[in-house]
Amino acid sequence: MRLHSLIAHLVTQRRGFVWSAIALLCAASVYILVTRLKLDSEVLNLLPSGFESVEGLKVYNRDFAQVRDLTFALVCQPDDVDKLEEFGPQFAEKLRAQPWCTRVLSGAPIETPEGIRDLQSIALPLLLNLEPAAFDETISLLKPEKIAERLHRLHSELEAGSPRPQIELGLDPLGVIAPALKPFASNAAIEEDQPLASRDRTMRVFLTVTNQPTIGAIDCQKLMQEVKAFQANAHEGWDGGPLQILVTGRSAYVAEISLSMRHDIVVTLLGSIFLVGGVFYIGFHRWLPLIGMGLTLLLCCLVALATGLLIFHQLNMVTIGFCAILIGLGVDFAILVFGRYQQARDEGIDHQAAISEAVKGLGKAIFFGALTTAVGFMALMLAGSQGFTQLGVLIALGISFAGIFMMTVFFLFLPRKSSAPRKDWMFAMVKNYVRWTVRRPAPMLWISTPLLLILTAIAFSPKPPIIFDVSTHSMEPKRSDAGYALKTIMAKMPSRWEPVIGIVRTADPQQSHDYWQKVAAHWNDLQVAGKIKSFSTPAALALSPRRLQTNREKLRTIDFVAARTAFDSAIASEGFSRETFDSAFVLLDQLNGAATLPGELPDWRTQLPQKSSWWFLVDRYFAHDPLLTTGFVTTNEPVATQEQKEMLRRELPVEGVPMVLSGWSFTLTDLVPWSHRQLILISALMAVFDATLLALLYRDWRLWLIQVATLTMAVCAMIASMKLLQLPLNLLNVLAFRLVLAIGVDYGIYVLLVWQKARQLDHDVAGVVKPVILAGLTAICGFGSLGIANNPTLAGLGYACALGLFWSLAATIFFTLPAAAAAEPRSWREESLKPRIPHPENV
Amino acid sequence: MASLVFLAVPLVSAEPVSPADLKALLARIKEKRAAAPQVQADFQEEKTVHMLNKPIASSGKMWFQSPNKFRREAKGNSPSITVSDGQHLWIYYPKFKSAEHYSLGKRSPLDAGIAAITASLNLENVEGTYHIAGTKEADGYQLQLTPRNPSMKRLLQSFSIRLNNELQVVRTEMLQPNGDRIITTYSNESRTPIPASTFEFTPPAGTDVTNPLGK
Repeated sequence: MRLHSLIAHLVTQRRGFVWSAIALLCAASVYILVTRLKLDSEVLNLLPSGFESVEGLKVYNRDFAQVRDLTFALVCQPDDVDKLEEFGPQFAEKLRAQPWCTRVLSGAPIETPEGIRDLQSIALPLLLNLEPAAFDETISLLKPEKIAERLHRLHSELEAGSPRPQIELGLDPLGVIAPALKPFASNAAIEEDQPLASRDRTMRVFLTVTNQPTIGAIDCQKLMQEVKAFQANAHEGWDGGPLQILVTGRSAYVAEISLSMRHDIVVTLLGSIFLVGGVFYIGFHRWLPLIGMGLTLLLCCLVALATGLLIFHQLNMVTIGFCAILIGLGVDFAILVFGRYQQARDEGIDHQAAISEAVKGLGKAIFFGALTTAVGFMALMLAGSQGFTQLGVLIALGISFAGIFMMTVFFLFLPRKSSAPRKDWMFAMVKNYVRWTVRRPAPMLWISTPLLLILTAIAFSPKPPIIFDVSTHSMEPKRSDAGYALKTIMAKMPSRWEPVIGIVRTADPQQSHDYWQKVAAHWNDLQVAGKIKSFSTPAALALSPRRLQTNREKLRTIDFVAARTAFDSAIASEGFSRETFDSAFVLLDQLNGAATLPGELPDWRTQLPQKSSWWFLVDRYFAHDPLLTTGFVTTNEPVATQEQKEMLRRELPVEGVPMVLSGWSFTLTDLVPWSHRQLILISALMAVFDATLLALLYRDWRLWLIQVATLTMAVCAMIASMKLLQLPLNLLNVLAFRLVLAIGVDYGIYVLLVWQKARQLDHDVAGVVKPVILAGLTAICGFGSLGIANNPTLAGLGYACALGLFWSLAATIFFTLPAAAAAEPRSWREESLKPRIPHPENV
Repeated sequence: MASLVFLAVPLVSAEPVSPADLKALLARIKEKRAAAPQVQADFQEEKTVHMLNKPIASSGKMWFQSPNKFRREAKGNSPSITVSDGQHLWIYYPKFKSAEHYSLGKRSPLDAGIAAITASLNLENVEGTYHIAGTKEADGYQLQLTPRNPSMKRLLQSFSIRLNNELQVVRTEMLQPNGDRIITTYSNESRTPIPASTFEFTPPAGTDVTNPLGK
């Protein structure tokens, strides 16, 4: 028995067996999904692996506490700036009282008494970490005569009216803390690097660290729910005009993106179902096949997901969202098969024979259609991204299952008894068009060819340029509160742009110290040379155990009793009040202890209070594992071009220090060549595959040439439309070209394969062109509905695909068909149009 | 002596100035300052600092040019020269051959301090920066200024200015939140023109220059 007859026999005579097989398949798939489903919510896994910058970003996201930061901004009217300044501390207190808030930074720590006290608590290890010459010079200040001289001088300056002695004596009565903090101070200028108030004073920024357990989407959503509740009540105590309370940060973005993704999936799925159902009903006036098609597609998704899970063990959430594409693609097969089946039924053929006819007539076309699409998506594996690999494999699997199920399972939903044929205006129109264009192809070609050629010229022309948007903004939801907050902060504080980060992992603290000393010196040279704007490193906090030990030994030469006595008497003789200098006596005791007591010094991390604002600085540099550290480079301009990125990649590394350069802007810029390669190379590979396949399939160079020209012009028309409509390409919607090539080629295959085998040209070709039009329209609607997605990348993908498919469909109908006709002799065309068997009017 | 002081109290009792009169008084001061935007005077200062057990006394001469240029030369055991052109502040210590340089207008706490000093000398637009209350006394006026701006409040708790009937500043008292207090009395006021070079400062050769708050 031939395959098409066997399928027809099974789905009509052995329905129970087929249903049992489906039930078994469903049960197995559901079992796999329930027992093994693990969702990977890491958006970064969508970016290609093998890029240092991407891996760096993942490390930074995973290992550094800063990813738990939330930035709040209060924005008031210009008349209320004084009120805002008064309200700021109240707001900071409210933040501190929140159960989700671990720490708050509302001003430069050095300007608060707590900040100074906290700094004094870690002064000892910082002092012992000074380089030998600086350490010798600093501890020389502990000689009795130097102590007396210094206090006398400060007293004189105080008398002379200088503000400096008061500051100096408050922070550092002995004069040894300031030199110890000098290396640290160059990094401690949080206020300078990231100001906490705008110049016009209408905005104040508050940095917080949250205590969310993980940085996953669910925890981010939970946190942001609490934050929103806080935002709603945080105005209490404010008596000025309108006050905006804004919040941004990774958690805010992740919560928004994950929620908007859920919204997008629901909305676009409902939109797709509505539009696809509408087009199907308009085309065929039947509901049962529509329901059958939906359930069959659901089965495809279920089995593809289960198989994908068996292969990958976990699936990216975004990948599952993209499975909506599968529905758009699978619908084509259902419409084609049903169109052919219905045509046979309308011709009076019975249920089983009509199924056999549909499978026989379209089996090859659907097989090759599925093959081209599957290969197109499998090509995503070349992108090197875990997320894209999953997406490619899932859709390739899904489309293969769709090809199989639409030619088997789908028929189970079709009624054995066919309703009476009714007038099919669409088929009649298509048939008339086919007949006209086959008889007289020239008029249609004279319209379509110049139009497509003009669009091709526009596509190749440098003007207007195609917009390539690789900014981080291109990846945030259209209506994003976090994005608005960030934009407002950036607008009011233009100096705040994202730095490039250099991540260094070391084997031990000594190596960490040595590496950062080298890096800091090198980056300082770059800053002096004007190649970078500024930088900050953990050099001052990456302590050297070797140096600590050496300096402790040097401390033993100090006579602390004499120093203490000299300090005491200098205080008295200069008329200072003794209680002002209590911290100095504590420090003298600590230094004495460090000199005389055996064993290691306590870790400075344990000395710094957990609530201290200085942790904002420490957490910037140190991961949970203190041997994983990062430095920051603020570039002269935000990183946006390849030249900038190349310069940074060339200049920032230091010989002998393994460093990973990263940061969002840096990474996205780094990925631009990858994205271009995706666009050009892989799309070209795909085109070569398509061209080869078509050559094998048609074995007719004229048809081959026509379809290759169709594909080329359709893609060019898509590019031209995107240029003219100013639709930007981004890192994800470059996929659209592959999709359009994969699906667009199918339309031609369906039409030309039937063309080659047609017994009566207008009848047979119209029998496939109508479903192709319907399939094309459903795909355009399906992808077009992605345009309502909140996520611009998804919406961009939808628009680009809808445009590309529109041109593929239009080129197939208005160029491929008349061109195929024009390629044949007139006599052959006339002969092919003659009816061989009488057909009812509607078919 | 005690009874004389007791008897004198009713004679120096002060009357609060109504808001309208205060406004008129400030307008008069402004008018006078506009006519002669510069002033020079001798001063005597007593500074009570919480770090020191005894107050610091100093004296010298000051020059002021509206809106924000000033020069102050203190004599005595710890002489100093303080010069500001509105953008930079220099404090020079001849005894130590050292100088401190501060950049103004960078939102440092120093800006609020300088604003407080110039407010007493200038009294222009003080209503925008301070809540003002005034009293009329037999020999002039007493203005009580409290900062509106929180950054100023961190530096200055209250500021009182005593003016004579010619509206010349004769005494100021500055109280800081940490308890430090500076009382300055002025005499021999003159409003003759001051050469621009008075408000310029170049450290003498060999001076050790520091930037305590950075550049």
